[in-house]
Amino acid sequence: MPSPLIKNIELFLDDKPSVYALREKAKQTLLSTGFPTLKTEAWKYTPVTALTSKDFNVDTSDKICGDTCCSHQHHQDDAIIEIKFCKGKLHIEEYNTPTGLTITPLPLALYENEYKKYIFNSFELEKHPFAALNGMYLEQGICIYIDKNTKIEKPLVIKYNQSSADSLQLNIHNIIILEQNAKADLIEQFSSHNSNSYFTNVVNEIYLKTNASFTHYTAQNESPNAYHIVLNAVKQHNDSLYKHFYFASGAKLSRHETLINLERENARAEIYTAYTAKKDSLTDITTNINHLNQETFSNQYAKAVLNADSTAVFQGKIHIAPHAIKTSGNQLHKALYLNDNATLNCKPELEIYADDVKCSHGASCGEIDKDQLFYLTSRGISQETAKEILTNAHLEEIKALITDEKIKNLLFFSK
Amino acid sequence: MSEPLLEIKDLHASVGDKEIIKGLNLTINKGEVHAIMGPNGAGKSSLSYVLSGKDNYVVTSGHIRFKGQDLTKLSTEERAQAGLFLSMQYPTEIPGVAISNFLKQSLNSIRKAQNLPELDTISFMKLLRSEAEKLQISQEMLKRFVNVGFSGGEKKRFETLQMALLKPSFSILDEIDSGLDIDALKTVSEGVNALRTKDNAFLVITHYQRLLSHIIPDVIHIFADGHIIKTGDKTLALELEENGYANFIKED
Repeated sequence: MPSPLIKNIELFLDDKPSVYALREKAKQTLLSTGFPTLKTEAWKYTPVTALTSKDFNVDTSDKICGDTCCSHQHHQDDAIIEIKFCKGKLHIEEYNTPTGLTITPLPLALYENEYKKYIFNSFELEKHPFAALNGMYLEQGICIYIDKNTKIEKPLVIKYNQSSADSLQLNIHNIIILEQNAKADLIEQFSSHNSNSYFTNVVNEIYLKTNASFTHYTAQNESPNAYHIVLNAVKQHNDSLYKHFYFASGAKLSRHETLINLERENARAEIYTAYTAKKDSLTDITTNINHLNQETFSNQYAKAVLNADSTAVFQGKIHIAPHAIKTSGNQLHKALYLNDNATLNCKPELEIYADDVKCSHGASCGEIDKDQLFYLTSRGISQETAKEILTNAHLEEIKALITDEKIKNLLFFSK
Repeated sequence: MSEPLLEIKDLHASVGDKEIIKGLNLTINKGEVHAIMGPNGAGKSSLSYVLSGKDNYVVTSGHIRFKGQDLTKLSTEERAQAGLFLSMQYPTEIPGVAISNFLKQSLNSIRKAQNLPELDTISFMKLLRSEAEKLQISQEMLKRFVNVGFSGGEKKRFETLQMALLKPSFSILDEIDSGLDIDALKTVSEGVNALRTKDNAFLVITHYQRLLSHIIPDVIHIFADGHIIKTGDKTLALELEENGYANFIKED
């Protein structure tokens, strides 16, 4: 029986053959591969039947979010460029964008065909069933294009406000292109102010041309009953840098997958993750880094806090192609257990087909340090507060890697 | 009329199966400074952990009264809130915890327990700066994580800074002289001496007479094999320096 997530509905631009063909391709792929089971190697620790058996609706009522649907105020902070999705619907605003930056809503981009070559080009639909699901509903999203030699000083912010997203699946497909020597920072924030149940399914296709530099921050604070699946698929040219920070503490089930193709020489990728797995939740961090050319570099560092009755999955694959000599790929995961009833499945996969490469992986787990706890409590701090301080300290190491105070404030203190 | 702050009667304590304190008697009055001297492995640091309630340090018999109440019934944080402070021999490094946040949490926890108003960030930072300056602790050092990357001297100055902020009524200084050069020893000792009042008391644990010429004790105890084997005035330290511990331990 097919999953109730797969629906026959009419979408905007279904009458346009090129758009329809893209959706149909994704749909047919999904129908042939099906959703992953525990026998699927890439999903062996992350059961999804609870999600795929849910009848989450696709909201086709409006293509864009009107002012009336959001209780919060529109305000354009001069220091940021803000894009909002409210229960999956894009807010159309007049973006006061600097020269060299173009922001196009996906429906418009699809209509004009200009971004067609960037759709489904950074990943394989067969290998990513949820991205295929996202593709069959291709309609909502944003295309960010940064022209060559353009350095965007203000951070771009995408806010996914899911507070009113009840029983919905929110399929959003974004395309981000940085041309030669372009530079930008993007912050994505997923949040809900209540405990509603919905399914966020986002695909970001990111293309970095020669010497482009892109720093991508994601803060995931979804509702505790939400399902959250994100694929960041990145293609990198010579000397480009993709730097990704992921902070997660929400959702009942989340999968954050980063697929990176380091296609040309001296392309570099860095992924820093800090997450808190809460009671009765599953947090999956999956990375796939393909070193496809020589002198490419990747570094992954993840820190986790596991609460009672939580599950976390860390799968990190580093693939080094036969001719990709003098490459370096490193991976490290450190977990802090707050309770014995927590599970961490850590699966490093190193596929090395070249000589003269440097690769490393490591994983550690431990409890709160008793001497540190004693030191804090011996200074009058309660046991509970001391544990909280030490838990935050564990994740602080990742946060401290962000040197821009403005971005830190936006990520951790803005609503 | 002296008023006892800490009374220890026939105390026995263990770590696991090992007995570390074996029948200790000690009374410290308000306004007094006591020194405990003894050879390595005598159980001096263990005594400081028993008094501050560290996990696994278990009192098996005897009693400890602090300001008249049974200390063993209190948790580590409650002991600190009641006015007990342990300056550790090896202060623990805590990466990821900023000094100012830690000190503010600590001071306000203690103030709250003592029904004093909590300090806001501005008045706290003002207090912190002025106390740090007295101990020659730089603003740069205050920006670091707790004890991380501190030299031996910096760690001891930081312990003294905490004492100055928290104003405990009873402080245990566990080898506050270890790892200090002469200048740092002077700074730390002056810092401690400045905190002495008629209402508080100190227990100074050390190997060496050197410290006791900077922090002058009222009473000196020689501690070996888990209990006090001799008590005297400050001249006892000089005698020890001359003849070593061996003579006293033999006498016992």
